[in-house]
Amino acid sequence: MTNRRNFLAGLAAASLTPASGWSSVGAPVYLAAGLFPDGSYRLSGLDNAGAILFSIPLPARGHAAAAHPSKAQAVAFARRPGTFAIVIDCKSGHVIKRLTAPKGRHFYGHGTFSADGTRFFTTENKYEAAEGVIGVWDANSFVRLGEFASGGVGPHDIRLMPGSDMLVIANGGIETHPDTGRTKLNLPTMLPNLAYVDLSGSVLAKVELTGAQHKNSIRHLAVRSDGLVGFAMQWQGNQIKHPPLLGLHKLGEIPRLLSAPERQQSDLQGYAGSIAFSTDGHSVAITCPRGNTLHRFDVTSGALMNAYTLEDVCGLGAGAEGLVFTTGTGAFGSLNAAHAKISSRQDCQWDNHLIPIQTTD
Amino acid sequence: MRSLTLFTALLIPFGAYAQDRAPILMDVTETHILPRFAQLADATDTLATTVQADCEPQSDTLRAAYSAAFDSWISASHLRFGPTETDDRAFAMAFWPDTKGFTPKTLSRHIKDEDTAVESPAAYAETSIAGRGFLALERMLYDPAMAEQGNVAYRCALIRAIATDIDRNADAMNADWQSFAPNLTQPGDDSPYRSGDEAMQELYRALTTGLEFTADTRLGRPLGTFERPRPNRAEARRSKRSLRHVELSLIALSDMAARLSFDHPEIAADLDTAFAQAIDRAQSLDDPAFAKVDTPLGRIRVEALQQSIHKIREIASIELGPTLGISAGFNSLDGD
Repeated sequence: MTNRRNFLAGLAAASLTPASGWSSVGAPVYLAAGLFPDGSYRLSGLDNAGAILFSIPLPARGHAAAAHPSKAQAVAFARRPGTFAIVIDCKSGHVIKRLTAPKGRHFYGHGTFSADGTRFFTTENKYEAAEGVIGVWDANSFVRLGEFASGGVGPHDIRLMPGSDMLVIANGGIETHPDTGRTKLNLPTMLPNLAYVDLSGSVLAKVELTGAQHKNSIRHLAVRSDGLVGFAMQWQGNQIKHPPLLGLHKLGEIPRLLSAPERQQSDLQGYAGSIAFSTDGHSVAITCPRGNTLHRFDVTSGALMNAYTLEDVCGLGAGAEGLVFTTGTGAFGSLNAAHAKISSRQDCQWDNHLIPIQTTD
Repeated sequence: MRSLTLFTALLIPFGAYAQDRAPILMDVTETHILPRFAQLADATDTLATTVQADCEPQSDTLRAAYSAAFDSWISASHLRFGPTETDDRAFAMAFWPDTKGFTPKTLSRHIKDEDTAVESPAAYAETSIAGRGFLALERMLYDPAMAEQGNVAYRCALIRAIATDIDRNADAMNADWQSFAPNLTQPGDDSPYRSGDEAMQELYRALTTGLEFTADTRLGRPLGTFERPRPNRAEARRSKRSLRHVELSLIALSDMAARLSFDHPEIAADLDTAFAQAIDRAQSLDDPAFAKVDTPLGRIRVEALQQSIHKIREIASIELGPTLGISAGFNSLDGD
């Protein structure tokens, strides 16, 4: 446990302290889904060097997971358009509950708990109407309590705003229907937004990407302890253009879009997979698996600090030295000032996201 | 701890090194791409001329010109990058799928308001994209509900405006492709494609995206689910062109695949066999608008056609992609 204590001592923000329930399973610091050599999709708990502490089979390819703020529980999602999510007791490896999307809806692959751990929220597609909804579940029984509109089409990531009962939702803007797989049905008219809602679904604020950015689908989110929201985008327009793929937004202000110089921006192929703030909150990064690149920016100046070349990099989270990442080739590593350092390599393919286990109050 | 550089270097497919892409890039550009846009500009010119003389929706002459022009677009529509994507031109040619029924709503609104935008091509190009292109014109020519709205003179003006707009759009694409072509044939610092590999990857993406669209959307939408087939969601079903679009797109994609795989005869042969089977299934399917997907036998046949396209996609991604240095990464392929 010494390592873990050292790691915690290095964390600047007290808000990142994991709750006690998690220590019983060998204190994983991250959750990640992956494909293993036997063909199984599994959810794994990782320590701060990327070693696998536990690994639980999933029924199909996973996407993201959400860690309960206090219990050693996680909800792992199917990749869209999946209709299952499973609640796992990470201590025993048992599936405690199985969540099934109601008729006419499928999950997008992300969810979040309320700060008090009593509610769970899921992003869903009400696909005949092509409307985004947020499913509301009792976080003890995992009985569905209801749903509300997400404020847009194609809600993907969802996060709890720190110290509040407010959710921020990435409405990607893209309409899909399970009959046509992952085909995008509304690109000429798509309109992504960032919606802030209270826990009953009342929209408190909405930030739309309009004009030249209307095909920049907002997919993934990161939230800094002071409420600064980072969003990562996927460009659906002309691929010979290289628009920004990272945005920062503070409620009440105009969003800032951050971009590398054109030459480096064009490496990204218009696609960012994950976003995270560094532990000290001074930098923010996106992973770009199609460009095999990770870009880190200075939050204050908005300037590109570093570009790292990393094969199939996608998972990203805050770590002891600032940021940690996973790749589709099984690598886990950390970033310091100028270098990407791979600290472990598992015989698996890590999927899109690396989920830090932390309380959010 | 091994160095990062080593990891990266080991993971780049060997096939990606030092291939001279120039002959294939030249061939695809000069022989596959440019003639298709020239042909499209010709066919839409005929359509625009025809409609000036004859705007009667039932007219055989008009419908023949419409059909020939739409054929030309479908045969070029997989080339959805560069000048084709500028200003949403591809969507302005064919706004489909139209899941919310924007096209009939937009046309009805034009007719009801007698929108004067029909008097000026520049003004019509600024109206809602859902009221432009071949699917909008199809509504005006083949949908009885449209023939009952407004008066003959306005409907005629609207038909002419849509056809003229299609022609202008095709001319713009054709002209821009002429000037864009050197970007593909001479990649480098002055091109959006910095290397031959990047240009090849763009063409490969056009192939795989085209296959995906035909299998998942052109066939997937009418198939719906077994419990709930959706024949009314077939593309261009009113003019009974749904199956024709599948066939034309497969023929165009087959030509492109053959050129892209020219340096790899075994892959070219595999692709050719798979395309031949899919095209054969399309040609022997006697169901032009996929109206029979709600019968067991009709459904099985369309599913078999879809399967044969999935087979082509598999060969493209497993055999052809790696030879072009396409990243086959777990996450880079994910798109989520």
